[in-house]
Amino acid sequence: MGNVQILLRQHVGAPCQAIVKAGDEVKKGTKIAVPAGLGANIFSSVYGVVEEVLEDRIVIRPDEEQKDEFVPIEVADENDKLALVKEAGIVGMGGAGFPTGVKLGINLAETEMAELDPEINPELPADFKLEHSYILINAAECEPGLEHNIRQIEEQCDKVIRGVKYCMEITHADKAVFAIKKKNEKAVEILRKAVADEADITIHLLPDIYPMGEERAVVRECLGVNLTTMQLPSAARSVVVNLETAAKIAEAVDEKKPCITKNLTVRGKINGGNAAHVFMDVPVGVSVGELIERAGGIDGVYGEIIMGGAFTGKSTELDAPITKTTGGILVTIEFPDLHGANVGLLVCACGGSEERMREIAQKMNGKVVSVCRCKQAIENKPGAPLKCLRPGNCPGQVKNNMQFKKDKCEYIIIGNCSDCSNTVMASGPKMGLKVFHQTDHVMRTVGHALYRTLRVSKQVDQLPDGK
Amino acid sequence: MSITAETAKAHAHDPAVLCCRAEGGITIEPANLEDPAIFDDLVDSGLLNLDGCLTIEEVLGAKLTKTCDSLCPLTADVVEGAKAPSAPAAPEAAEEVPAPVVPAAPAPAAAPVAGGVLKIHIGEGKDIDLEIPVGALGGGSAAAVPVAAEAVAVEAGAAADSKAEEEKVVRTLTRKHFNITEVKRGPETKIEGTTLYIREGIEAEVIANQELVKDFHLEIITPDLYHTYSETIMDVQPIATKEGDDDIGCGVTRVLDGVVMMLTGVDEGGVQIGEFGSSEGYLDENIMWGRPGCPDKGEIFIKGNIVVQEKTNMERRGPMAAHTAFDIITQEIREVMKKLDDSLVVDTQELKQVRRPGKKKVVIVKEIMGQGAMHDNFILPVEPVGVLGARANVDLGNVPVCVSPLEVLDGCIHALTCIGPASKEMSRHYWREPLVLEALHDEEIDLCGVVFVGSPQINAEKFYVSKRVGHTVEMMDADGAFVTTEGFGNNHIDFASHIEQIGMRGIPVVGMSYCAVQGALVVGNKYMQYMVDNNKSESGIENEVLGCNTLCPEDAVRAIAMLKTAMAGEDVKAAERKWNPNVKSSNVELIEDVYGKKIALEENEQSLPMSQKRKEKYD
Repeated sequence: MGNVQILLRQHVGAPCQAIVKAGDEVKKGTKIAVPAGLGANIFSSVYGVVEEVLEDRIVIRPDEEQKDEFVPIEVADENDKLALVKEAGIVGMGGAGFPTGVKLGINLAETEMAELDPEINPELPADFKLEHSYILINAAECEPGLEHNIRQIEEQCDKVIRGVKYCMEITHADKAVFAIKKKNEKAVEILRKAVADEADITIHLLPDIYPMGEERAVVRECLGVNLTTMQLPSAARSVVVNLETAAKIAEAVDEKKPCITKNLTVRGKINGGNAAHVFMDVPVGVSVGELIERAGGIDGVYGEIIMGGAFTGKSTELDAPITKTTGGILVTIEFPDLHGANVGLLVCACGGSEERMREIAQKMNGKVVSVCRCKQAIENKPGAPLKCLRPGNCPGQVKNNMQFKKDKCEYIIIGNCSDCSNTVMASGPKMGLKVFHQTDHVMRTVGHALYRTLRVSKQVDQLPDGK
Repeated sequence: MSITAETAKAHAHDPAVLCCRAEGGITIEPANLEDPAIFDDLVDSGLLNLDGCLTIEEVLGAKLTKTCDSLCPLTADVVEGAKAPSAPAAPEAAEEVPAPVVPAAPAPAAAPVAGGVLKIHIGEGKDIDLEIPVGALGGGSAAAVPVAAEAVAVEAGAAADSKAEEEKVVRTLTRKHFNITEVKRGPETKIEGTTLYIREGIEAEVIANQELVKDFHLEIITPDLYHTYSETIMDVQPIATKEGDDDIGCGVTRVLDGVVMMLTGVDEGGVQIGEFGSSEGYLDENIMWGRPGCPDKGEIFIKGNIVVQEKTNMERRGPMAAHTAFDIITQEIREVMKKLDDSLVVDTQELKQVRRPGKKKVVIVKEIMGQGAMHDNFILPVEPVGVLGARANVDLGNVPVCVSPLEVLDGCIHALTCIGPASKEMSRHYWREPLVLEALHDEEIDLCGVVFVGSPQINAEKFYVSKRVGHTVEMMDADGAFVTTEGFGNNHIDFASHIEQIGMRGIPVVGMSYCAVQGALVVGNKYMQYMVDNNKSESGIENEVLGCNTLCPEDAVRAIAMLKTAMAGEDVKAAERKWNPNVKSSNVELIEDVYGKKIALEENEQSLPMSQKRKEKYD
């Protein structure tokens, strides 16, 4: 095992401050950094010795032998579940990394329904109120090619449900809904059995389109309420938690276990084929290269390595460490060569940032001559990540295509969701624009259909009574 | 792009087309629909067929019966529960000049926004070429005026009611006309009877007056010499002077009939003093006779051809030196005129500045060029169209200057003129400004004044001055405004901004400019709903024929009719997407019907002998 690098910023908020120094011996569960502002505790994920404390990370040389046992977390009142969650350093493991202890610090029973924007909720009466409060479990696993979330439902359903119940208890939510894609038949069956006798937990089936796991998309699908880009799920009397986060909550409460491992999928141009390699409980801080080796090693020449999903992930290097929010490591095939052709970028909240899109254009050897933004991609604050006004429901794209044409683009690279990609395809090719999707190289690698014309329905039949 | 409930309402009678894929069973809402503003482009390019398409008001709230893809026109067979269509609003006649519905772009002349023609190549069937004007409208600019018969009737009725208040004559201006039938050279400058003598050797003084003036020749062009070759015409000026100490715009002005000053010129390298075209060539082939700014057929030209220092033609000092030096001759004539006996007066004309309290108060904003070089104007000289005492528009920072209508008609602008011979307003244009005259005489409106505003080169300055225009008009409590401009291109940015600044204050604005094909607007905004195109050329171009596309009485009549319509709250039909000269014709017919009077239409370049240049470059 190579050195473990634990980043001081693995969450939304400020970087943590290290509380160890070089030469310190650490165990699994030794607290090594604490928040300075919004953040979450960071623990050593291995037994070993602190080799270096750098500005952005703590480097630990692991011992040869690694025991399973860990240093349990300590709180003043062992029955204070919220305190346990906070102390365990849990953050949103779906990728966002918002500190879970902060997110759950809400009393949903006393939370009023917020005012809804009538423009995006035309079908709801002005005084619409939700009768119940909810924990919504994000089991969408929306980034194509990843499988560790669904695997966890299949293998650790009980733990996840325990975590969900703790969330309900902490937030005084009276209902919980699992949001899971209908296509995951095995996981859905297991879930159905598990919630069959749970009076307050139901299942909401999602269609197989991107995005469904976006927080506000989950709220809309499960509760029928459209939130503005500025509203949090609490505006719909709910809290959205990823299922892996729920499992971590169960571990913190039941086992006093700190958040030191991550489940993830390694996939792509790997020796032995492009099937998913799911690794459960990987110590945080292990390098990307080490995990790729565990999966079989890179198969020859490759395009890039992505940390995260095909839509929202970023390119990474072999020596980069995984964090509490790393869900995927994708090794892609080589990029096509556009030989310097004029390229337009359609930047969207659902895909990469403009910077990421430009990187892809550059890797494809295209010359970016035009950049448009999806009409629904809202920048809440200057520089803030884009958020989609109505995730998964297109606002029309023909105007952007006309702009690309005007700017003399030969190719366009789009980062849109399934629905918007479909709209781009309705006029782009007819206008003579050759369309690439930002995820094409990943989709080709993993054998997933490319994002172009939409062929599946956005509607799915629900289970009777959500069971 | 999907539309809002508000847009859906505004386009209730436009076709309903899905912006995106929508699944069977949904209730159709504005968010499902594409913006009708781009349909024409899509139809033209074959991407859309609107046959049998229901309207937006019909489909809203109805159910889509089957899954349809993006850009699918909603027809009765896929919609269930469509509403019955309501009657569209009363069919007002009227149209406007297409303006790009794009916020003023912070870019110079070639603004990167709508306006251009987008050429598209379709892959599927290979080699299909499309032309899609970008933005709400694109390339062309239609002309027009409108006036619903109904609108005018309402207006007339209202006028009768408020007739209570009396007209008020604020001041008068007397023009005494002296006739000149012959211009000769002689030992001194004098006028004997109807003969004007110009001192021999005065050329040397013109040359000596300005360091940059390297050569100067004076020619007397009588009608039999009209077929004379000339360098580009820089300006045409009336010969007029004030009596005694009278100020411009009041008192008595003496003016010579039958003769005009004409300044032409090149630099030492032979480069014409002009930008974006020049009118050099045979005079009779390059002058649109009788335009407000041009000579009338039959007049004698005192034509001075100036040669300025090499490469100063496009510097500020070159054209300024030319105009200043040439005024030496005019000034000598003015001095002689002051001494003329009143017995030589052939005609006396009294111009009245009339205010009509209780009538709709309107203001005329005239944009004049202020980018520098020849794009400048001397404002308010001591003598009509003189130089002495005037301030250059550029030196004043292009800010709005308020003047009385009579100051305009008394030569308060000495124009160094603008781009494009066909669309520039020369000094004589202001002396005979048709919109000012028409508005002053129209008993249904109260012309409160004229605002000149310069068109600076830099965008930041353009918006600096347009904001001043907005406040200036606001404090006048005007009910309506005209914004006119000369030239096209760069100045359309501030032209659009002036209209926006006035329009955003709830004041209807009629915009007047040469647009047509070549001068299509490069920017636009939602207040540019009432546009009149000054184009007269056959093909809608800047044809380098002097004065061809400038504001004429026929344009003034259409603009006033349109403003009345707008002030009465009637709709003016949106412009067609591409320039269509028929819009103007039908507006003229409408106005003729309503007012029961014939509108004389100006001739265009087709009435002139064909020049070699026109033959090669344009026609």
